[in-house]
Amino acid sequence: MKSDLLSCDPFTRRAFAEHVAKTALGVTIVPHILRGAAAAPAVDNTKLPGFGSAKRVIWMQMEGGMSHIDTLDPKKGETGGPKDPIKTKAGFDLGGFMPRLAAEQADKIAIIRSMTSKTGVHASAQYLMRTAYEQRGTIQHPTLGAWAQQLLGPSHKTLPSSVCINRNPGHGNGFFPAAFSPLPVGNPETGLQFAQFRTTPDVIDKRMALLDKVDAGFRGKFHDTNLKSYTEFYDNTLQLLKGEELKAFDLAAEPADLREKYGKSDLGQGCLLARRLIEHGIRFIEVASGGWDMHTDLDDRMADKGTALDTALAALIGDLSSRGLLESTLIVLCSEFGRTPEVTGDGGRNHYPKVFSVMLAGAGAKRGYIYGASDARGANVADKQSTIQDFHSTIGHLMGMNVDQVVMSPSNRPFTVGDKGSVLTDLLA
Amino acid sequence: MKRTTLLTLAICTLAAALPAQQQSSGNTRTWHDNKGRELVATFRGIKDDNIFLQTTDGNVHRIALANLSAADQAAARTLKIEGLGIPMDPGVAQAAAAIDKLVLARLQKADQHPNALASDEQFIRRVYLDLAGRIPAREETVEFLTDKSDTKRARVIDKLVNSEGFTSRMFNYFGDMLRIADDANKIKYFTYEEWLKKQIAENRPWNVIVREMLSADGNMLQNGATGYLLRDKGMRLDNLSLTLTTFLGANVACAQCHDHPFAEWTQKQFYQMAAFMGATETEMPGGRRMLSGLDRQTAKQARNIMRVNTAMVTDKPDNDMTLPKDYKYEDGKPNEPVKPKLVSWGKEDARTKAYRDATDALRSHKNHEADDRDVFAKWVTSPDNPRFAMTIANRLWKVVFGVGVKEPVTDLDNPDTASNPELLRHLAAEMVRVNFDIRAFMRLLCNTETYQREAVTREIAMGEPYYFPGPILRRMTAEQAWDSCVTLAIGDKVDAFKLQRGDAYAKVMDLKLTTSSPSEVAERVQTVLSERSQLRGLFAKGANAKPGKRPARMRQMQDTEDNGEADFSKPAVMSGLMLARASELPQPERGEHFLRMFGQSDRQIADSNSDEGSIPQVMMLMNGDAQQVLQNPKSKVLSTALAEQTPDAQIQDLYISFLSRNPKPEELADARSALAGGLSPADLTWVLFNSREFIFVQ
Repeated sequence: MKSDLLSCDPFTRRAFAEHVAKTALGVTIVPHILRGAAAAPAVDNTKLPGFGSAKRVIWMQMEGGMSHIDTLDPKKGETGGPKDPIKTKAGFDLGGFMPRLAAEQADKIAIIRSMTSKTGVHASAQYLMRTAYEQRGTIQHPTLGAWAQQLLGPSHKTLPSSVCINRNPGHGNGFFPAAFSPLPVGNPETGLQFAQFRTTPDVIDKRMALLDKVDAGFRGKFHDTNLKSYTEFYDNTLQLLKGEELKAFDLAAEPADLREKYGKSDLGQGCLLARRLIEHGIRFIEVASGGWDMHTDLDDRMADKGTALDTALAALIGDLSSRGLLESTLIVLCSEFGRTPEVTGDGGRNHYPKVFSVMLAGAGAKRGYIYGASDARGANVADKQSTIQDFHSTIGHLMGMNVDQVVMSPSNRPFTVGDKGSVLTDLLA
Repeated sequence: MKRTTLLTLAICTLAAALPAQQQSSGNTRTWHDNKGRELVATFRGIKDDNIFLQTTDGNVHRIALANLSAADQAAARTLKIEGLGIPMDPGVAQAAAAIDKLVLARLQKADQHPNALASDEQFIRRVYLDLAGRIPAREETVEFLTDKSDTKRARVIDKLVNSEGFTSRMFNYFGDMLRIADDANKIKYFTYEEWLKKQIAENRPWNVIVREMLSADGNMLQNGATGYLLRDKGMRLDNLSLTLTTFLGANVACAQCHDHPFAEWTQKQFYQMAAFMGATETEMPGGRRMLSGLDRQTAKQARNIMRVNTAMVTDKPDNDMTLPKDYKYEDGKPNEPVKPKLVSWGKEDARTKAYRDATDALRSHKNHEADDRDVFAKWVTSPDNPRFAMTIANRLWKVVFGVGVKEPVTDLDNPDTASNPELLRHLAAEMVRVNFDIRAFMRLLCNTETYQREAVTREIAMGEPYYFPGPILRRMTAEQAWDSCVTLAIGDKVDAFKLQRGDAYAKVMDLKLTTSSPSEVAERVQTVLSERSQLRGLFAKGANAKPGKRPARMRQMQDTEDNGEADFSKPAVMSGLMLARASELPQPERGEHFLRMFGQSDRQIADSNSDEGSIPQVMMLMNGDAQQVLQNPKSKVLSTALAEQTPDAQIQDLYISFLSRNPKPEELADARSALAGGLSPADLTWVLFNSREFIFVQ
C-alpha cells in the first residue's frame, strides 16, 4: 500500500473526525461530484415535472410478497387465480379482491406493472424495497424517509421526521445519524410505546427540576456534541409527551364511523394513524402489514388480507382527497416481490421477483394510469421494464430530492437516492 | 514484588544525565539518600516502611525509607499518591510507562498538555465499566474508596481483568464486531456463541482464537468454531471482506465490486485473497439427500433440523474461485479462474516469515487446494503479519480510550495516518510481546497514566487529530448500561446466571450425518421431532419477536420471589425483564428491549453498536421497564437506600450506587429539599438514572 492520498483526502479526515468529535452527521454531501462522473449529468432531473410535489409520503409495505395478479395486475385464464378481474371507470382492470379501490378510487392511482428484481428471499428483498440497495454485511442503507431528513432537513421542530407503524424501525436511518431512525409505533391502537409517565404531572415536574440541578455540573464540565444532543432529546421528548402533539398518535380522537371505514385491521388503523401523523407535519410514514406470504390457501387468505388492503387503501385515498391533502401527499403501495403465476397444488402461489406491481397515488404522479405491462400470464415483463431503483428514484424525485446528488457515508463510500435508478418520467403528471 | 529494582550506587550518574526540565515539582522531584546521592523520580507510595519511586525509564524502585535523607523522609510522608500508586508488577509498570512516554511525546510536539489524573471516584467507575462491563456495586465502590493502601488501583485492575465480568464484557464487544446472532440463515448459533465465550473465559490467545475460526471444519453442532464461517453461509465473498476488514484493518469493502477509488486495493487482489477460500464449502455436499427416506410430511417438518445439520464447513479438492462475470479491468477476464495470492502493504511484508511460509506452502500443495484455507489462516494470525496484531491492539485501545489511535479501526492500510503512528506500532509490538493475551494487554492499558487521567472536557474540532491527553468522554455502550441496571437491581451477584444452551441444543439436534446411513438419519429425525418440543422455552426469543407483543414466555414471567436461597439456574425477573447480563440474554435482544433501544447492534452489520440518542430511547429511559425495576422497593439499590435512617444517608447511598461518588454539599442540599418537597427515594432513582452523568463515562 502506498497511498498518502488517504492522508490528504478530506472525506477520510471527515470520517475520522466523526469518530473523534462525534459530529452530528458524519456524512459528507459532495456538491460537485454528481453521480457517475465529475461532469454534470445530461439531464437535470430537478427540472422534470413534479419535483418536490410530495411534501409527505405514506409508504404501505405489504410484507411477505403480495400477489400482483390478485391485486394490481389481474389476468384471465389459467394463471388468473380465484377471482375474476374487475373493470374500472379508469379503463383498466383491477384484481377481484379490490372491489372498493376499483369502484371508488381507480381514477386516482398509477400502477407500475413492469417491476422486476432478482431477490426472492423475504428479508433481503424487503431490505431492497425499503432502501433500493442490496443488503450487505458492511453497511446499512437509509430509507427514503432518512434520505429526506438528510437532504431536505427535518419536517418538524420536535417530532421525528419519520414514523413506522406495525414494525420495528430496524436501521431505517442507515448510515445517517440514529436520530433519523423512524419512531416506531408497534400497534396503531395503543400508539407510542412508553409515552405514558407512570406518575402524576406534578411529580414529573419536580423530578425534572431536580434532574436539571443534579446534571448541571456534569453538563457544564463537558463540551461534547453527543452529550448536548442528549439534552436536546430530553427536551424534545418532554415537549412531545406533555404537548399537544402526542394527540397525533391517539386514534381514539377519530370518529367511530371513520375508523370503521378504514377497516379494523392493523393495516386499516395504521393508514388512519398515518393520515393523522402527516396532518401533524411528519413527513414519511411507513405502514407495514405482514401475512402476504401465501404459499397455500390463497383464496381464503386473500379474502382476509386483500379485503383489508382494499378497504384501507380506498378509505385513505378518499379521506386525503376530501381533505385536500392528496395533491401534496404521495401514497405508495409496494411489496418485496410478486407471486408465481402458477397456482400450486396447495392453492397458493410462491415467491416471484421476476415481474410484479407497485402503485402510487397523489402528489405529482399521474392519475388513472398504468405504466408498463407484464405478459398475458403475468410471468414476464412485456413493456417498460422497471427496477426498484427506478421506483425509488421516481419517489425521491417527487419528494424533491436530486437523485444525482452523491452523499459520502462515514465509511467514505458514495451513495445516491435510488442507487442510480432512473426517474420514470412517463409517470409524472 | 520480586522483580523490583533496588536502588544502586549508580544513582549519581543517572541523576546527572537527566534533563533539568523533568525535575518538576509535586510528586516528581529530586530525592536524596542519607549519603547525599540524588535520584529524580516520581513518588508512587509507601508500603511497609519502603518508599516506591518510579524513574523516567519506567522502572519502579523500592527503597527503605530509613535510607532517605531526613528531609525527604518527612516530605514523603506528606505526599499524596497521584494516579496509579504502587504497581503490582514492575514489568507492567515499565511497559505502561513506555506507552505513556510515546503519548507524552506526541502531546508535547503538538504543544498540548496531558489532563490531570482522575480521582479515585472517576477511576473506579471507569475501570469497572471498561473491564467488567458494568458500574461497581455500591459496596464495591465503598470498599475501594475507603481502602487506604497505595496499591489499590493496580489491585483492582488485576481483580477485574481476571473476573467473569471481563468475559462478558469482551463477548459483547466481539459479538458486535462479529455480528453474533442466535438466528441467522434459519439456523441457530448457540454452540458458536458458547465456544467464543469459552475462549475468552479460558483466556486463549487472540491469534489462536481467530486461527481456529478461520480454519474450523465440520458442523456447528460438533464444532462451535465453525460458526464464524457459517455466519455468512453461502456468501464467501462477503465473509472474506469482513475477515480482511475486521482482523487486518484492510479497507477492501469497495474492492469486492470494483477497484477501490481511493486506496490501493484492486478487485483482482480481492479475488486473489478470496481464492484462499475457493475450495471451501459451507453446505454439506449431498446432505439434503439424506432425507430421501422420509415421507413428504416428515421431510417438511425436518427441514429446519436438516438445515442446521447440513450447514457444514468442508473443503473440496479444488479451488473454484473465478473473477466475476462483469469483470472490467485489463488484468483479467470475466469468469477467469483465480489463484490465491497474498496481499502486502509494503515491500518488506513479502520478506516476513509468515509470507514466505505461506508462499512456500502454496507452492508445495499445488495439488491440495483444500489446504489453502489453513495457509491463509496461518498467515492472517501470524505474529509477523503486518496488520493482525496492530488491528486488535488498536481496537482494544479504543475499547478503553473511546477512540482508536487510528480511525476507523477497520482501515489500517496506512498506519502513518494514525494520530500517533509510533504509538500504534508500539502497541502492535506489545500485543505480540504478550502473546496476544487479551487480558494482559487490557491490564497494561489500564495501568498507564494516560488511562488514569481525566476525560477530555473540551469539544474536539472537526478533523482535529486526538493525541490522548486522557480518554474521551464516552456514552456507555448498550451492554454497559444494561449490565449496570442489572447491577443496580441485584447487586454484585450479577455474574451468577450463565446462559447455557449450546450443549442441550446440539445433543437434541445432531443427526450425526457424516457417520450415519440414510435410514439411521431417518430414525434419528423422528426422535428429534419428538424431543424438540422439550427445547421450547429454553430459547427465549430475541430479535425476531413481533413488535408490540411480548413473547409468550415474557408475558408468563412473574417476578421472582426472594426466598433467601440463591437459585442461579434461572435469572431473577422483575417487571417482565430477565435480570441477567447482556451476554446471557438473546443475541441480539428483541427490538423493543432496553438493550436494542439503547443502541445494541441488530447484528446484521459489523461494529454497528450505536451510542446515539433518540426520542424513543429517552421515552424508554423515562417510562420503560428498566425504570420500573429500579423503582421497585425490592431492587437492591432502592431497598438498600430505604434501609437507611435519614434522608441524607439515603441520598448518599443512591449517589454512590448510581454515580460511584458522594454527593457534593449543594447536591445533597438540593436532593434533601426535593425529598422534603414531595419526592420519594424511588423518584430519586428515576432522576439519577436519567442523568447524563449516569450514562456517560468520564
